[in-house]
Amino acid sequence: MTTLAAFAAALALLGAPGKVDVIKATDLQGKPVEIRTAGKITAVIFISTQCPISNDYNERMKALYNEFHGKGVQFVFLNANSTESSAEVAEHARKHAFPFTVYKDVNNVEADRFSAEFTPHVFVIGKNSEVIYRGAIDDSRPADRVTKTYLKDVLNAALEGKPLPVTETKAFGCTIKRVKKST
Amino acid sequence: MKHSIAILILLAAGLVHAADLQPISEAGYQRLLASAKGKVLVVNFWATWCAPCRKEMPELVALAAKYRAKGMQFAAIAIDEESDAATVAEFVAKTKIPQPAYIKRFQDDQKFISMVDPRWSGGLPFTVVYDRTGRKVHVFPGEVNIRELEQVIQKLL
Repeated sequence: MTTLAAFAAALALLGAPGKVDVIKATDLQGKPVEIRTAGKITAVIFISTQCPISNDYNERMKALYNEFHGKGVQFVFLNANSTESSAEVAEHARKHAFPFTVYKDVNNVEADRFSAEFTPHVFVIGKNSEVIYRGAIDDSRPADRVTKTYLKDVLNAALEGKPLPVTETKAFGCTIKRVKKST
Repeated sequence: MKHSIAILILLAAGLVHAADLQPISEAGYQRLLASAKGKVLVVNFWATWCAPCRKEMPELVALAAKYRAKGMQFAAIAIDEESDAATVAEFVAKTKIPQPAYIKRFQDDQKFISMVDPRWSGGLPFTVVYDRTGRKVHVFPGEVNIRELEQVIQKLL
């Protein structure tokens, strides 16, 4: 099989995650957690401790959390990088004073289910547990050059029950460092 | 910041030979593809902030040197901001990335990503192989398997 075909097959296999009723992750003490999505708008964000792009969004992620958490949006921050330990994730969260919890996606199970590819990669799940948006937080790594606030606009539209302004965007980012799995 | 200043000082002192960086736009990418027809073209998208990109680059450069005479062309396109051009130039020179080495000047990152491959979300590194007719035949999302890439090139040459 060519690499192109393998890539296509892998994506087809992973595809859209369909309904995401439960997100399974591990807290930074190693305890399994299950986060249910039914009846809520949920923003799942795959982040990294080491990726400079992801780190450039730390303050913007904090601002989004602070703005929308109180409006009823559920945030799930996941670290799926096999190269970043729970201890490192905890230290990173402490250092940057994250107001939100970060979970480990051990063996990148959720990253595979969502077909998350890079950090920060965002997935918004609607109240019916369907993924309604996938892509970037906004359109610019430098915060002072942002012209389109994709995630903010999607969350506002979803909260108001309005048509989404966008359902998929792309951006350059650091590839998620997955565990090597035997096929 | 300190790193960039240090590089600028070294460049000014002539201690580091800055490589020429060629800005590349969406139209420039199409021109690159057109000009490479008749050769096997390997395009690698990388960035100085991308650790796996930096790690794999020496192997890609070695592969490019090995197959250049047989008709392989290698193009490295840095997805760095213009403000990081000095850091890019230093890495290009240090790693001996073949000239011309490119740095992105896209009007619209999203459109560019989709133009290169509709299934690509933008994660780096990302490597694309075009055959001698200019047809895209292989993509390597993430770190490239250098042995697999070499086999692909050998078949196409």
